[in-house]
Amino acid sequence: MNKRGGIEFYLFLIIFVFLVMFPFIWVFLTSIKPPREIFSSFSWFTSNPTLASYEAALTNRPLVRYMINSFVVSSLTTILALVFASFTAYAVTRLPIKGKGLILGLVLAASMFPQIAIISPMFSLVTGLGLRNSYMGLVIPYITISLPLAIWILATFFKKIPFELEESAKLDGASPFQTFRKIILPLAAPGIFTTGILVFIAAWNEYLFALTINSDDLWRTVPVGISMYQSQYSIPWGDISAATVIVTIPIVILVLFFQKRIVSGLTSGSVKE
Amino acid sequence: MKNKKSRSFQLSEKQLGYAMVIPSLILVIVVVLWPVAQSFYNSLFDYRLNDPSRSQLMLSATIDLERYVDNHFYIGGQLDSLADGAENEEDAEKVKEIQQDIENYHSEMISDEALKVKVEEIDELLANFTPVRDSELKYSKLDNEFAQEYQQALEAHAAALTKIAESSNNEQSAQQFQQTSDLLTSTASNILNSNFIGLDNYGKYMKDQRMWKAMGNTVFFTVISVAFELVLGLAIALLINRAFIGRGLIRATVLIPWAIPTAVAAMMWGFLYDGQSGIIAHYLEALNIIPESSWLLTTSDGGMFSIILADVWKTTPYMALLLLAGLQTIPQSLYEASSVDGANKFQQFWSITLPLLKSSILVALLFRTLDAFRVFDLIYVLTGGGPANATESISVYAYKTLFAQQNFGEGSVLSVIVFISVAIISLVYVKLIGSDLFEGRTK
Repeated sequence: MNKRGGIEFYLFLIIFVFLVMFPFIWVFLTSIKPPREIFSSFSWFTSNPTLASYEAALTNRPLVRYMINSFVVSSLTTILALVFASFTAYAVTRLPIKGKGLILGLVLAASMFPQIAIISPMFSLVTGLGLRNSYMGLVIPYITISLPLAIWILATFFKKIPFELEESAKLDGASPFQTFRKIILPLAAPGIFTTGILVFIAAWNEYLFALTINSDDLWRTVPVGISMYQSQYSIPWGDISAATVIVTIPIVILVLFFQKRIVSGLTSGSVKE
Repeated sequence: MKNKKSRSFQLSEKQLGYAMVIPSLILVIVVVLWPVAQSFYNSLFDYRLNDPSRSQLMLSATIDLERYVDNHFYIGGQLDSLADGAENEEDAEKVKEIQQDIENYHSEMISDEALKVKVEEIDELLANFTPVRDSELKYSKLDNEFAQEYQQALEAHAAALTKIAESSNNEQSAQQFQQTSDLLTSTASNILNSNFIGLDNYGKYMKDQRMWKAMGNTVFFTVISVAFELVLGLAIALLINRAFIGRGLIRATVLIPWAIPTAVAAMMWGFLYDGQSGIIAHYLEALNIIPESSWLLTTSDGGMFSIILADVWKTTPYMALLLLAGLQTIPQSLYEASSVDGANKFQQFWSITLPLLKSSILVALLFRTLDAFRVFDLIYVLTGGGPANATESISVYAYKTLFAQQNFGEGSVLSVIVFISVAIISLVYVKLIGSDLFEGRTK
């Protein structure tokens, strides 16, 4: 099927891209309309573009604070998960230990556990530790998502590194830990980075734990903060559109820069090679 | 020299392996396995955070010693003054009898040495107006039978005092009797009976209409959206499995819906579906696809349609990506050979593409089915489970029971139901996929 596409193919691609991107396009066009126009017309383009909605989105709610919160929580989660997961993935793929299948099975099962079955004891635990409305209060529950994910993806990356390298390091008298630190880790760095991006996105997008544990407005993360823009009485679509555009930009940048890595990370777990 | 020294502390490969695995295992046990086990355990209790008499897990009867000691301190004095100020002999007699009875129970209770020590300690703290913060000290277990007897006795005495208060003509004395009666009632409420109810919660939900409705919604949503995602995803993957200009653009297009938070996507779609200013609602109405623009979010069918459409939009690209990766591992030579044998495109799809793509499809389906079955944020943000619970998924129902009603016992039953369903789905898929899932990871 390695044929090149004709004109119909490119037409199909354009329609596909347009359909997938349509919500973003429309939300962006709405965000620069004057608020009155949003409710009165369905015209695509406004003749009086304005940044009023952006100003409102940033001042009516602490959107910047939400983004900082999300960034700190996701970064901490990513770092913790990568440290623990790279040890475990290395041991499971390359060291002679017993029960590898069991460990990976446990990790896979853990990644399938529904968060709703974890949330109430986790809520009591975090409350008991006095960590509600804090960064650590989210980092701890996020380990439930990030650690199994990171181990699972890293295991594939570690597996791909040729075993000859370790053998020769061993012959040169390196200890097993030195082999890990000086030989394997540098080689696995791209894989670890890819895993890091995926874990970061997963933590950035998490909703249930963030909703229940950090209920104070100052400690909300982006997904929860955005969903709170609607009040009981009115829905400020202008603010919401502008806020959506603001929080989507970092993700678009991340995706544009690292798309190849993200795809390789996403598919590494599902394709036999 | 230095090198030699450090070598003597060197771990063998095996030891290093275990040392590297153990921290993660401990974490997984603490943050995943323990909470799930705890949810199971919680589901066996009538456990409500907003009801002080049921806000603890009590396998046996328990007494709130802090409040009990405080109340008991006043009982003696109040009963004494009631006996002195009683209007007739009969009432005085009754009050004395009550006092004696309570004292008997109290001394029987503190005949337990450990309990006596605790009572004295709390006495001291209360005398200094220090609240009791240590829950080990604050709560104490009681014998189930004794607790029930004592509680019933206190309630009976309270009722007797109220009766005296009602029949009294003297307003001041009536007030005093009522006050003491209230004190006894409050003391009775310091004794908490066990709230262990075994599988009763489960029995309740087996007969709960709303649970079955939520389960039906979840299964419907899962089956329909995953089916659409698979068919569309496969079609897209087949179409773009070729060399063309602009691969990067397509890849980015596909990744952005996947990468944005579901809650943000739900807010966007909420705007597009809005009955007044939603563009999709407007176009669908103009094209006569839907009866009116408010249909999408205010009717039950419309709500379900809206949720499925938003989910298909967000995850089809991801599905296409996984399947495309699977397609690219199929060797081109197979197609060439079959073309030589005269097979057409359709035959090639059935006899080469599908069989070789089977494990990729199953793995993608496994992850998507589990995600769809656990759906929470999309529904919670887009429709809140409404209108009239028509789009409520089982996770949303569990969340509402846990955190809006603060009913951790019943809510845990619902989360256990989600857990068991997910476990069954996984087992079925893992059985179908077989050992492929682990291939390439362990030696």
